[in-house]
Amino acid sequence: MLSRHGRDLRVDAKIPGEDTGIAIRKTLCSICEYKCLVDAYVKDGRLIKVEGSPGNPVNDGTLCSKGAASRQWVYNPDRLQTPLLRIGERGEGRWAPISWDEALDRIAARLGALKIESGPESVVFFAGYPKVMRPFLKRLAHTFGSPNYCTESSTCFAGTTIAGLLTYGYGLGQQGGAEIDQTRCILNWSTNLFYSQAPLGNRILDALDRGAKLIDVGPLRSLPAERADIHLRLRPGTCGALAMGMAHVIIEEGLHDRAFVEAWTQGFEQYRDYARQFTPDVTERITGVPRETIVAAARLYATTKPAALVTSACTTIHHTNGVQNHRAVTALIGLTGNFDRPGGNHIVPSSYYRPTGLAHREHAFEQTRPWAEMAPRVGQDRFPVWCRTVPQGQAMALPEQILGGAPYPIRAIVGFGLNHRMWPAPDHMREALRALDFFVDVELFMTESAKLADIVLPACSTFERNEFSISPNRYAIWTEQAIAPVGQSRPDVDIIIDLAKRLTPEDELMAQGHAACLEWIFAPAGLSIAELENHPGGMFLAGRPETPYEKYRKTGFPTPSKKMEFTSTVLAEHGLDALPVYREPMQSPVSTPELARDFPLILTTGSRLPMYIHGRTFRVPWLRRLHPDPTLDINPADADARGIAHLQWVEIATPRRALQVRANVTEYVAPGVVNMIHGYPGADANELIDPDYLDPVSGHPGYRSLMCEVRPRPAANGGSR
Amino acid sequence: MTQYAFSLDPSRCSGCRACIVACQDQNDLEAVAFRHVTDHEAGAYPDVRVSHFSIACQHCGDAPCVLVCPTRAISRRDSDGAVLVARDLCIGCHSCELACPFGAPQFASDGRMDKCDLCHGRLDHGLTPACVRVCPTRALQCGPVEELSARKAEAASVRLLESLGRGTVPDGA
Repeated sequence: MLSRHGRDLRVDAKIPGEDTGIAIRKTLCSICEYKCLVDAYVKDGRLIKVEGSPGNPVNDGTLCSKGAASRQWVYNPDRLQTPLLRIGERGEGRWAPISWDEALDRIAARLGALKIESGPESVVFFAGYPKVMRPFLKRLAHTFGSPNYCTESSTCFAGTTIAGLLTYGYGLGQQGGAEIDQTRCILNWSTNLFYSQAPLGNRILDALDRGAKLIDVGPLRSLPAERADIHLRLRPGTCGALAMGMAHVIIEEGLHDRAFVEAWTQGFEQYRDYARQFTPDVTERITGVPRETIVAAARLYATTKPAALVTSACTTIHHTNGVQNHRAVTALIGLTGNFDRPGGNHIVPSSYYRPTGLAHREHAFEQTRPWAEMAPRVGQDRFPVWCRTVPQGQAMALPEQILGGAPYPIRAIVGFGLNHRMWPAPDHMREALRALDFFVDVELFMTESAKLADIVLPACSTFERNEFSISPNRYAIWTEQAIAPVGQSRPDVDIIIDLAKRLTPEDELMAQGHAACLEWIFAPAGLSIAELENHPGGMFLAGRPETPYEKYRKTGFPTPSKKMEFTSTVLAEHGLDALPVYREPMQSPVSTPELARDFPLILTTGSRLPMYIHGRTFRVPWLRRLHPDPTLDINPADADARGIAHLQWVEIATPRRALQVRANVTEYVAPGVVNMIHGYPGADANELIDPDYLDPVSGHPGYRSLMCEVRPRPAANGGSR
Repeated sequence: MTQYAFSLDPSRCSGCRACIVACQDQNDLEAVAFRHVTDHEAGAYPDVRVSHFSIACQHCGDAPCVLVCPTRAISRRDSDGAVLVARDLCIGCHSCELACPFGAPQFASDGRMDKCDLCHGRLDHGLTPACVRVCPTRALQCGPVEELSARKAEAASVRLLESLGRGTVPDGA
């Protein structure tokens, strides 16, 4: 049989086999860090196709559009081929290729000199994407003597952990520990898993097929909203008020778990008194959600047992009132007796970025030097609660410290996948990078940030390296190297290990290599990389103890009061609101009415389109063609009022900056709200945000609620700019 | 002959477009796409419905493209009803494009028609089409039409029976 091209059908259909010369190698996708398992179809050493690996509990044969485009990601023409040394002015883009040895020797010499001149704390070690190298980089930073290990978590997820630690003494984990597969009611709070972690989205649909109820909270008309029994379409930034309003209904109607609340919580009376303010009428006025809908949602969530609250890694915390919002939202778990119970929110300790509950020594591996023996971290003065709860510096404070030199100078950054577009006001961070004495960036591609470096090192993708990954249900894999590295690119972890050999030669463990370090970390769980190598597609790590439910019954909660804290002891110590007090976003129609006169629309940014994640996939042609121009979503009512037609070029402006994008006129957003993804080349929404638009507790930027205006650009109509 | 077909459950389709890309990867397509995903909105806030639909060649039982093709470049395969184009016979006249109700025929840079071939080479090997395999929500299916309709009938029946047993939806839903 011939293909439509008149060639051998089996070859053209890419059927693996000896006759076709096509082999399947087992690897994974880390474009978004959900780490779907991937079958790499390889012929003559080249990747010719990808497919989700079948028969695993992570993605069972499926992929999202980003993962499906892996081939154009791996073989992207922008891939860095060799280490590069800057020979022109900073940012000019003139480079000389150098050898790995020369590059690493130069870096080690420069960092060693800076350590002597300005102290080890003058060097920042930064981890962007991927996350796999993080424990290695943190170990290197602290062994070197610098407290300044920072990551992209300065803008993401950590705030949910802070909220969990303050209230419950536990980070609640991804999706808040929601047991989607076992629950009877899902309270899906502002997360569209279909666009962020697609296989998990499918599990929500499966739960619906089983008869589970779905309540969706969020400003966008996403698939979870479409499929929900109840959709609460709230004004961005008001989730804390909505949660208090639901708490009001639950408490007034006696639907809370009295036994749990009496035995295991601190500050319930104050919380109850505070909730009294949030009557359905008041809550409707703040959030825009009709009072009947609030009451119905509160009743359904509180009376269906078990019920699981699904939280996002970032949507609730990307407000200037983010941590308190998230505390208010997650307090509903304990209030309704769903904390650490089957089908509710189960607390499973994480290691290696997955809640597996496996015994490990990750913290010992990372924290080679106690904080007390190092200088204060970046951001420690501005964000003390962050530094008390997150074992990293707060990178949002980096630009100020680099440019201002206080409390001490930052002179160098060794960045892995550092992208200055992550920061609000990325131009400000760009200026800071330019001001550094020494900047190294390790990257797959020549990014805007890498262009500012003194030395750029080429990293390879997951397809080109071995990688350990483990899913929450303990399906572990040590991937095969599917293809040879592109150019001279190398695995991030190996680069760190080679830097460690030069910078911290006393570190004997790191010198033993990637696999040996993983086995050391997971020695208490008996991890054997050799055993994993014998199971190329991955395997369940069976026979290790399961994580129990209701752990607090044995040991109390790991909080200062040993209870769930409606009133946080730690926040009170820092002079902050002990209750999850609702405050308006720093910019909102309510808090800044004078600003709202000229900028009347609420801008919410940071959401996802399915083909893009942060700045990572805009350069992939298959994906870029799916959404070739920057857009904002605006409701037809707001578009009509401004004379804006669908897909017309418009200007979106804040007092800080204006961008040119196309208007997607859509009911996906409610009237009064404008939604825009971040990082789009040439129209990055983060440029609209002030550098100090931060949550004072976490330091996270308030990407998801600020004020803007949208105007037509008549001169630029007709599709051109 | 067994007639194979695609089936899409719009209640599961998130509009993620993985099907488009997986097809391009499978078929080494650069600029052309065999699948098309449409976003559709009905109603106005607050009573809104946003939905998505993914479509490619439907491999029609009585395919107009087969009828209009002047060079008989398009034919149906007996084993599964796949409507296939022999590209070396195509003269690029676009007749199939005019006749097709679904916009399936695409024209590559060589001017000749190209389109979804139901991944019939994969079907022969016991694999589902690339677009079906990739679909993260299992919204897209492919199989013999009898099987697809039986599956839908059973799922609908279960939903009906479930709702009979459960009573009413709460206020505000």
